[in-house]
Amino acid sequence: MRGLVFWISGAAFAFVVTAGAFLFLANLSSNTSEKSLSPATPSAASGPSLSLSLQKDQLSSLKQLKDQKLTVTAKNSGDEELSGISLTLKVSSEDTSIPEVRYYRATVDQIKAGKSSDTPLDIDLSPLDQNDEITSTRTIIEVRATTPSGVSAVKTAILPTQTSQPSG
Amino acid sequence: MSIAPLPAGESQADLGLGPGVRPLSSGPGDKSAPNWSPDESRISFVLDGYVVDKPLNTQGLRRWTTKDFGAEEVEYNSKGGLTILGKDNPSNSKAPQPAGDSGATSSIYQTLPRKESFKLNKITGDALAIVPGQDGKGLVVALKTNTFQSGIAIIGSDGRVEKVYKNLIGGRVMGLALSPKGDQLVLSVQGAATFALYALDLSDGSSRVLARLKPDLEIFGAPQWTSHGIYYVAGDKNIEKTDAAPYKLYKIEPDSDAPEPAPGVGEDFIASSLRASPDGERLAVIGRRNPNSLTNLYIINVATNDLQAATSNDDMEIKTGPEDLAWSRSGEEVAIIASGAVADLKVHAAPASSLLADFYNLYEVPVNEQ
Repeated sequence: MRGLVFWISGAAFAFVVTAGAFLFLANLSSNTSEKSLSPATPSAASGPSLSLSLQKDQLSSLKQLKDQKLTVTAKNSGDEELSGISLTLKVSSEDTSIPEVRYYRATVDQIKAGKSSDTPLDIDLSPLDQNDEITSTRTIIEVRATTPSGVSAVKTAILPTQTSQPSG
Repeated sequence: MSIAPLPAGESQADLGLGPGVRPLSSGPGDKSAPNWSPDESRISFVLDGYVVDKPLNTQGLRRWTTKDFGAEEVEYNSKGGLTILGKDNPSNSKAPQPAGDSGATSSIYQTLPRKESFKLNKITGDALAIVPGQDGKGLVVALKTNTFQSGIAIIGSDGRVEKVYKNLIGGRVMGLALSPKGDQLVLSVQGAATFALYALDLSDGSSRVLARLKPDLEIFGAPQWTSHGIYYVAGDKNIEKTDAAPYKLYKIEPDSDAPEPAPGVGEDFIASSLRASPDGERLAVIGRRNPNSLTNLYIINVATNDLQAATSNDDMEIKTGPEDLAWSRSGEEVAIIASGAVADLKVHAAPASSLLADFYNLYEVPVNEQ
């Protein structure tokens, strides 16, 4: 009888120790997994980086007329100076059957790391379809910036249709 | 030359149309009339009135017509080219037309090999509506034969007219569909005063009226002949046709003259465009559960009348034109066209050619579970 109690106690003790070991390993594993899923924090300034911005207030005030002013802001977000930045602004219609597209080009000599450069452009936003006095489709302004070393950025603005004949 | 992939769809949490939906096109332009190639590797559509096609999963648009073409529909033919329905420019368009005759007709063209830039082979003029032949081979064309009558032409895969049924139908054919066996046609016909549904037997050219609508009602788009009856959309022709207009889905058995509201959809259901699946067992319908709900793509199992939503629209505008949805040949996907809100100024850090919701674009909706 004493032997039987000894064997049962021993088996119970072994079970508790083994289960505890498995629980410990499982917790260890899940902690490691959670840790590995944390995304690495990107460096704020690692290599060349370029971004473009257009002022929403200025975009909102554009009319379907010639001689509209639009400022393109190029920002060097990287840690190296950028030079010879080519800006191309394209005005097109969302109606792809309209063949006319207008291009405007400018060059920014250099932008130091962390700095921005504003380039004012005079653009023609009169209807691309010569048969229209006022366009019934939206106008697309797409700006691209590229450097000789291949750093690039793009920004696209889609102007809403104007429901009445613009004045001025 | 590398061809850019389309913007990722499957990995995006939500394109505004529910899980599993992925884009088939991107960028500006008003798209309509999608059509899958027989091997489902390409998709064609009308873009701002001209015809293009492209590989399913990448950009690389291929233009087939001049930009001022005025295309309405496009279908892949069995030779790998495209058959196009394009508007004619009737010289008498400003002259008064008799009731039931808008005067406008179209022509049918086949594309030539790509080296013949934008040149097309005209098959016939005076076309009113087209539908691919049985198993996608050849074409069935409704023709205007005179001011008050229409006929049917059967066109072979080689573009030759094989058979013509003249002056069979009183009125103007607005849409047509083949029966599942391919031996009959159902036609929606606008007469002098009323719309009617006709069934036409292709073996002997005999036709009969299936249903005649009340004078204020019109049939929207082409009727669809499924394995369990003929479906069509009809509504008050005096109400402007929008996706909220109270157009209803109806069903009629081929041997009956009594249409009934389509079972299973509910009495508040508003229907727009519809297409029968290639095997005729299901019906894709773009519509609304009720006037206050958003437009979605629904799939009806015509044997059980079970209605399932295939999209989960999150404020997208799904196009509701009669040609603006298409089944893949396998019946596992449906192509629809949708865009997001377009009224406000939008600015994106991406090229216009990669934008999706800012323009009408094609989306592939998986429907193999419905």
